[in-house]
Amino acid sequence: MKNSRQALIQLAILVALGAAVLLTILLPRQAEGRKAVEPLEISVVLREADSTLWATARLGMEQAAGELGAELRVLTLAQANDAQGQLSVVRREAEQKADALVVVPADPVELGLALIQGELGCPVVSLESAVDGAPQTVAPDNGALGRALAQAALDDGCRGPVLLANASPDSTGVTQRVRGARQALEEAGLEVRLEEEGQLEGLLDGEWAAVMVFEPALTERALALKEGMGLDVPLYGAGVTANVAAGLERGTVTAAAAWSDFAAGYLAVEGAAALARGTQRQADPLPFFILRGEDIYEPKYQKLLFPVS
Amino acid sequence: MRGLLKGLAGRVVKRYQGMSIQMVLSLSFTAVALVGVVFMGGSLLLRFSDSARNLSQQATRRVLAQVNLNLDSYLRRMMRVSDTMYYRVIKNTDLASDTLDEEMGLLYEENRDALVSIALFDAAGRLVEAAPLSGMKASAEPSQSRWFRAAAERMENLHFSTPHIQELFDDPDYRYRWVVSLSRQVQLTRGGDTESGVLLVDMSFNGIAQVCREVELPNGGYVYLVSREGELIYHPRQQLIYAGLLEENNVAAAGYSDGTHEESFQGKAREVTVKTVGYTGWKLVGVAPSAPLWGETDSVLLFGLSLLLFSAFLMAFLNFRVSAYIADPIRRLDQAVKELEAGGETVEVDVEGGCYEVQRLSRSIRSMVSTLRHLMDDIIEQEEQKRRSELEVLHSQINPHFLYNTLDSVIWMTECGRTQEAVQMVTSLARLFRISLSGGRRMIPLADELEHARHYLNIQQIRYRNRFDAQVEARPGTQGLYTLKLTVQPLLENAIYHGMAGAEEDGLIRVDAYREGDDLVIDVMDNGVGMPPEKAACLLEEHGPESGGSGSGIGVRNVHRRVCLTFGEGYGLTIFSEPDEGTTVRVRLPVLDEGAAARYQ
Repeated sequence: MKNSRQALIQLAILVALGAAVLLTILLPRQAEGRKAVEPLEISVVLREADSTLWATARLGMEQAAGELGAELRVLTLAQANDAQGQLSVVRREAEQKADALVVVPADPVELGLALIQGELGCPVVSLESAVDGAPQTVAPDNGALGRALAQAALDDGCRGPVLLANASPDSTGVTQRVRGARQALEEAGLEVRLEEEGQLEGLLDGEWAAVMVFEPALTERALALKEGMGLDVPLYGAGVTANVAAGLERGTVTAAAAWSDFAAGYLAVEGAAALARGTQRQADPLPFFILRGEDIYEPKYQKLLFPVS
Repeated sequence: MRGLLKGLAGRVVKRYQGMSIQMVLSLSFTAVALVGVVFMGGSLLLRFSDSARNLSQQATRRVLAQVNLNLDSYLRRMMRVSDTMYYRVIKNTDLASDTLDEEMGLLYEENRDALVSIALFDAAGRLVEAAPLSGMKASAEPSQSRWFRAAAERMENLHFSTPHIQELFDDPDYRYRWVVSLSRQVQLTRGGDTESGVLLVDMSFNGIAQVCREVELPNGGYVYLVSREGELIYHPRQQLIYAGLLEENNVAAAGYSDGTHEESFQGKAREVTVKTVGYTGWKLVGVAPSAPLWGETDSVLLFGLSLLLFSAFLMAFLNFRVSAYIADPIRRLDQAVKELEAGGETVEVDVEGGCYEVQRLSRSIRSMVSTLRHLMDDIIEQEEQKRRSELEVLHSQINPHFLYNTLDSVIWMTECGRTQEAVQMVTSLARLFRISLSGGRRMIPLADELEHARHYLNIQQIRYRNRFDAQVEARPGTQGLYTLKLTVQPLLENAIYHGMAGAEEDGLIRVDAYREGDDLVIDVMDNGVGMPPEKAACLLEEHGPESGGSGSGIGVRNVHRRVCLTFGEGYGLTIFSEPDEGTTVRVRLPVLDEGAAARYQ
């Protein structure tokens, strides 16, 4: 009886050791198998028809994708700010099994509804505007940005009526900037006119003490119009593209609210990858600053505005 | 703590005592071998780790040397451009009569893959000539630039700036290019007079970035480039650093001398290898996470663990087999002894194989078992003899001849009117039988034995018409002693039948009991015919001659055997006899009180 018990103990020891050997041989293979899984597929859906406005952000996105093992697909709309068109693109990407989406929402409310109703089935990170149901938003504090831009105008001695133009009234992020600027200007006792059709052509040559726009595309348009029409009305914009930087340098753009598009793109893709892998990291609002032409070559600004490609 | 250790040791000892020798051997071998393997594995791991670290450092140094070489080559090329422009073009040109645009354009075209612009400024910072763009921005102030001031201050040197956006020329495409400016002070000739100027060669930062970009170091390391002040020139993740999403220890690294340094940054140990780039004072910094003790990756650790476990498995298997081989003879021996304990009669203690000690033990046990069996046979034989003796005693008790003769004598005496003697005889007979029975006990008081002898002698005296006298005496010191029942009567019978056969009323039979040390001695003496001593000597032998005549010497031998079987060879009968002088039979018994006698019952 005792001998058979000890034989069983010996057998158990051998089986346990054998199993441990097999486990240590198989585990690395499994780990390698896990490592060799296909990279994440992340789709980026912009709200513009022209992706060059997001060129800097795209550099950040690609850096994050490279580091995190993700494949990026950047999609633009046939028509800028087409909320329905964007929603159908987003749905199609979700159906095609994208692991996560980064969306610059044309209409955050519509997108939020789709998310809340569970239509998409994959995590979404929103850029620029907060979206209900999206677990992460990468954007500056839009209200504060609008107020800071208005304060820059006030600091420049702006005392007359101010034109606030918004070509994307459905974009809550841009609208928050407009609302912040309007609030600050009205508190300062200035007359404010809000233009939400984005039709600057007939308005820019009015008697404005300042014109303010709140997104890069409209800033570029306003810059081009101003130079084309030979106006000298102070122009305040948001977002610094190469054209806007040149406008700042030439003095066409008086000041612009700027942030690191590279960081925005990087954080958006990093957040999307984390959500796709089941974790979540809430990002703080992106820091922004008000840039003027004379500051553009300051080392700290040029590093942020013109990424090393 | 001490109590805990003691308790632990106690438990180990208890567990050890409950284990088989095979288990103890196999577990001990395995444990010792495992300790050895772990020790060796640890040593190898440390050695491997050191080697891996050295290899990693060497690899990093080699990579940095190669990057430095490429960077050096790139910077030399830019310096050659600057030298060519200065020594072959500017020095040979009088700006009052000639222009530089053709040669400068040609030089730019030859090196446009690495250049952004070449420009010449006078001492006041006014543009003299530039390629490919010649329209300066209205806001440009070359004389206020760091590269210009550095060239103006140290005329003999070539000056490399840190990367910055090219800010001098109007670019119709609004391209903001990162450049590293190489500036030097030059002597311009204008109308035969010489004046100072600054030659600027803006090289594309991409060229430097490409030199560093594809470099990979062991353990996921990377390379970055800093100025002597610690300003970041190139870093694979520099945009993240600029955006505040990442930090680098670049300022500290700028203070390191060339070589490998250990540092801890953000809680992580790193090996930082520094190499200073020539001409510029920049520093190439290779950062590699410190290799963990167990090697490069988890897979190395798992591989080591797998080897260790496989060794343990192999050793355990071999140890179990070897210990089984060693312990098997002992186990079989143990099994045989257990069977013996259980009373097995046909157990063969014959263990083949095993080491010398086991075989010797096996032989010893076999010999012991054999002795035991012989002893048991002897005991059985003795018991058989004892049983036979007892039967003979019983037989003698109810000797029909004795009974017949006695009763016949009683009848004869009754018929002759010798009633008194008849009563005496019957009374003695009754007492004789009562003591003979004694409740079936083997040991009876000496007094009873002597009384038994007296009654026997009474009967025989009456039968033999008082042809002999009889005396029975127990000396002081024998009171309360016990003796083997019916020891004396067969001797008296022998004395009467053989000793008194020729007696004529002068025969004497004496029984004398006394103590001699720890022995009780009972002498039965007669003054009969006696016998030669040699005959007396062989009377007690197992197959000795009978004494002849009526009666039998068997009774004497029987008494002797009974005493020897009961008390051992030191006790028994001794016969002293001389012809015509009589015979003394001496019975030697141990002194037994009632308690001691009870053990022989």
